[in-house]
Amino acid sequence: MDIVLIAKAVGALSIIGLVTSAVLSSAARRFHVEVDERVEEVAAVLPGSNCGACGNPSCFAVAEMVVAEELPANACVAGGQKVANGIGAIMGVGAGEVAAIVSSRHCGGGASCIRSFGYAGVRSCAAAHKLAGGPIACSFGCIGFGDCERACPFDAIAMDERGLPVIDLEKCTGCGICVRECPRGQIHLLEMLPEKAPVVVRCNAHDKVKVRKGNCAMCCIACKKCERECPSDAIHVIDLLAVVDYAKCTGCGVCVEVCPQRCIDLYGRGNDAMAADGAGATCGLDVTLGRGA
Amino acid sequence: MTAVSQLALLFIGAALVNNILLTRFIGLCPFFGVSGNIQTSFGMSLAVVFVMMMASSATWIVWEIVLAPLGVGEFLYIPAFILIIASLVQFVEMYLRKSSPVLYRSMGIYLPLITTNCAVLAIATESAKPGFFKMNIALGASLSLGEALVYTLGVSVGFGFALLTFAALRERLELAPVHRLLAGSPIAFLTAGLLSLAYVGLSGWFGL
Repeated sequence: MDIVLIAKAVGALSIIGLVTSAVLSSAARRFHVEVDERVEEVAAVLPGSNCGACGNPSCFAVAEMVVAEELPANACVAGGQKVANGIGAIMGVGAGEVAAIVSSRHCGGGASCIRSFGYAGVRSCAAAHKLAGGPIACSFGCIGFGDCERACPFDAIAMDERGLPVIDLEKCTGCGICVRECPRGQIHLLEMLPEKAPVVVRCNAHDKVKVRKGNCAMCCIACKKCERECPSDAIHVIDLLAVVDYAKCTGCGVCVEVCPQRCIDLYGRGNDAMAADGAGATCGLDVTLGRGA
Repeated sequence: MTAVSQLALLFIGAALVNNILLTRFIGLCPFFGVSGNIQTSFGMSLAVVFVMMMASSATWIVWEIVLAPLGVGEFLYIPAFILIIASLVQFVEMYLRKSSPVLYRSMGIYLPLITTNCAVLAIATESAKPGFFKMNIALGASLSLGEALVYTLGVSVGFGFALLTFAALRERLELAPVHRLLAGSPIAFLTAGLLSLAYVGLSGWFGL
């Protein structure tokens, strides 16, 4: 009796198993979908950290789009030239120049910027910015409560003793989150620059030169000295502010030398970023409450 | 009662009164796992309706033609049903991938995920195996195939309804000023409890 029952049980499950496996194996052949092998290969080359710096949801999605030729071989921002070369080899196309970008700050004022009122509220740039445009007199400069430092997922931003964010270019992946978090990111206080940008202008002010000179000792005074001295025509004073054309800039450093305000810094991964960032950072004005007091 | 109104009662009883998520607490993993936003929970609900209907009909047929005649169903129903459901889902996935890539993309990951969902196995068992269906509606000793399908449709629609309601609540909760100790999963559990109370209130009506 028991033997019969066991035999029946084994038989029943075997029948079900055989039928389903037969159906499945025939279905696998019949409904076979060609999947491009290159998707897997490209996905293996990509970093796989799904960091989102390129703006796509995942590395695998990028791999699919690269193989479908919707994205170029250099789509991966965080991976850099090495990944681009690998993808280019798989896809049989040129890797292309990787336009890696890093974050940069256009302000040298920080703690030494003149205050227009005393602020004792929440220590957040966003909150301070909403309160009459923030406590610092310059409405283009860095408020200095470190929203960008807290937002950076790669730990690449540190507030220094001047109250300014210093960006560690070795850690910066160019995700752009700091620019989105900065209440003045929209007006380019923080800005994404090409990775190899050799110089950066530490001023973002667009108000009258006289006004900004009252606020900050380090601001660009639109004297055009850099514009005149630049051997490669790469820096111009546009709307009373020096602006670098990174397509032309060779990184000779002449503008950094000649700037009377010392508001142009050497920058970029080629330089010692941390040291360079601190180079021109002394402000002669006293930190006082009350504008111009 | 006519047969039609009986089926209607069966549907309502399965969908609302004995809601599988909120009064019977079966299949809670997707209830918390994919209720983050309405879009994904809609995909999940679709997949659940689809898979449950397929699973119920398949297990009902297998019970009738294999397990019951051989007299091994009493102790073999769980492995047999799991085998059937798993291979069925595999088959459906292959078929969809070939024939309807759009549908395949919208159901996406949820199809294979619910293969091992307890709710699917529970409803397949209740539909197929006599004596497991306990709802207090005057039906025969075991469900006919038609009744089983109506019952399964009711359960799966109830599943989707509860999941979508909960997802909508959770989307609002994202913006609500929740205390940081309760933020995230804790407040979701509390919300689920309150939502469940509303459904339990119906249980006097042909409840389990």
